[in-house]
Amino acid sequence: MTILLVFAYILLILIGAFLLYMAFKTDDRRYIYAAVAFYVIFPVIVTLKLPITTSPEVKQLYDAVEALPDSSTVMLTFDYYPSTLAETEPMSHAALHHLFRKDCKVITMTTIPLGGPSIAERVTRKLAEEYNKVYGIDFVNLGYKANYVAVLKGMGTSIETIYPTDNSGTRLSEIPMMENIENYSDIDFIFVVADNSIVDYWISIVNAQYNNPVGTGVTAVMAPRYFAYISSGQMTGMLGGMKGAAEYETLLNKPAAANMGMTSQSLVHLFIIFSVIAGNIIFLTSKKGRDGKRT
Amino acid sequence: MSLVEYIQIWVIAFVTLSLFSFLYRDNPFYKLSEHIFAGLSAGYYFGLIWHAVILQQMIDPMFDNGKWWLFIPGILGVLMFSRFSRKYSWISRLSLAFVMGNTAGIFLLSELHGKVLPQMQSTMLSLGFENGLGSFLLALIVVVGVISTLTYFYFSKEHKGLLGGVARIGIWFIMISFGAHFGYTVMARISLLIGRVQFLYFDWIGSIINLFS
Repeated sequence: MTILLVFAYILLILIGAFLLYMAFKTDDRRYIYAAVAFYVIFPVIVTLKLPITTSPEVKQLYDAVEALPDSSTVMLTFDYYPSTLAETEPMSHAALHHLFRKDCKVITMTTIPLGGPSIAERVTRKLAEEYNKVYGIDFVNLGYKANYVAVLKGMGTSIETIYPTDNSGTRLSEIPMMENIENYSDIDFIFVVADNSIVDYWISIVNAQYNNPVGTGVTAVMAPRYFAYISSGQMTGMLGGMKGAAEYETLLNKPAAANMGMTSQSLVHLFIIFSVIAGNIIFLTSKKGRDGKRT
Repeated sequence: MSLVEYIQIWVIAFVTLSLFSFLYRDNPFYKLSEHIFAGLSAGYYFGLIWHAVILQQMIDPMFDNGKWWLFIPGILGVLMFSRFSRKYSWISRLSLAFVMGNTAGIFLLSELHGKVLPQMQSTMLSLGFENGLGSFLLALIVVVGVISTLTYFYFSKEHKGLLGGVARIGIWFIMISFGAHFGYTVMARISLLIGRVQFLYFDWIGSIINLFS
């Protein structure tokens, strides 16, 4: 097995080096595309696994959810479009695993019209089935409502005013789980999974004005700007992109899609780092580079 | 697996591969998928807004619950269509004025209370050694980073001498921030590709294997 793994890694290096050499030689960027495709596809077909370590912000979020008393009420948002499913859906999966495992009452909602309501429905039903959770008693899907600022602000006064019915049209007053839930003061934790700036409003409206703890799962593009909120204590942990989702899955001991994708991720990153270094060395040792010309 | 699921998977696979084919060169399959996406999104969005906003939040409460005052935002919405006429486009400014005033009022408080003040507070760190050397160094980086970056964006005086030196340090902090953003962006884009590859391998090829086994 070890010999096979060594052989696989040597093969990876050789093919990457060959494609990079061809890209530099022919000046054709499609060789770079081919290399990236190869490094993504290879670990999916031949199961290669690299270790995953946990970042402090992911551990902080995990600990915050873990510290919730059993049967707490948690709001989980599906504020993302289908285009970022690869990053965000594993976060929702991991969050629901954790929440259902702790017997939390889960309220799901979305402020995204395109795909949000159906993703929330599909993911929640799937996980609920696995944990034998009953709709209306253990979880409720509020669905979509337009104008997110008004939605976020309005739920601070009354959730039922904003969402008179759930996603399937049942009145909230007829749902047993919602009997004692009036507004944010009845919600113990808010887990926002998002691919857009709605996260800012969960922080600046809900956390700042209603003091609800907010933990987030965001796409990797968004992650750097939200570290400031963790430092200031406004955000209780964060999952940044597929890596964050993979770390949460690891902490839960439920490796799934994100874990599976991380080896491809690491290999492509190594290839890009190597390409940047090689490109710079080739440029600096070329005549143009020696003359100090940039183009 | 049902027939509907097979069709779903094959349609998704076809559209995914058509879009990837652009990496080789522009082609009719790519164009077809692009147009399907644009048309489908517009149709879906229209249907959803009609149902979730116009029906659920205006017409139903008006007729079922007697909330007749909802005709006011309804009219404000209709006024926006005056933008299509050159002569009467000024009428749409009434709606825009309402939206702008409303938004400014909501955001003034939330931005100040939820962003500006807490973020300012979190940069006002103690530069003492009471929490150890590591804590001191981190606080020093934050303080130097904030001051030098703000100095870089001070344009009322030429960046020369001390001001220029501090601004140059600010550029370094900005560049490091751009680097972090770029690294994370690469990770995001690769994640999307991984998602598609996982779909093609497990769902699409899986469905083919399933079909013949």
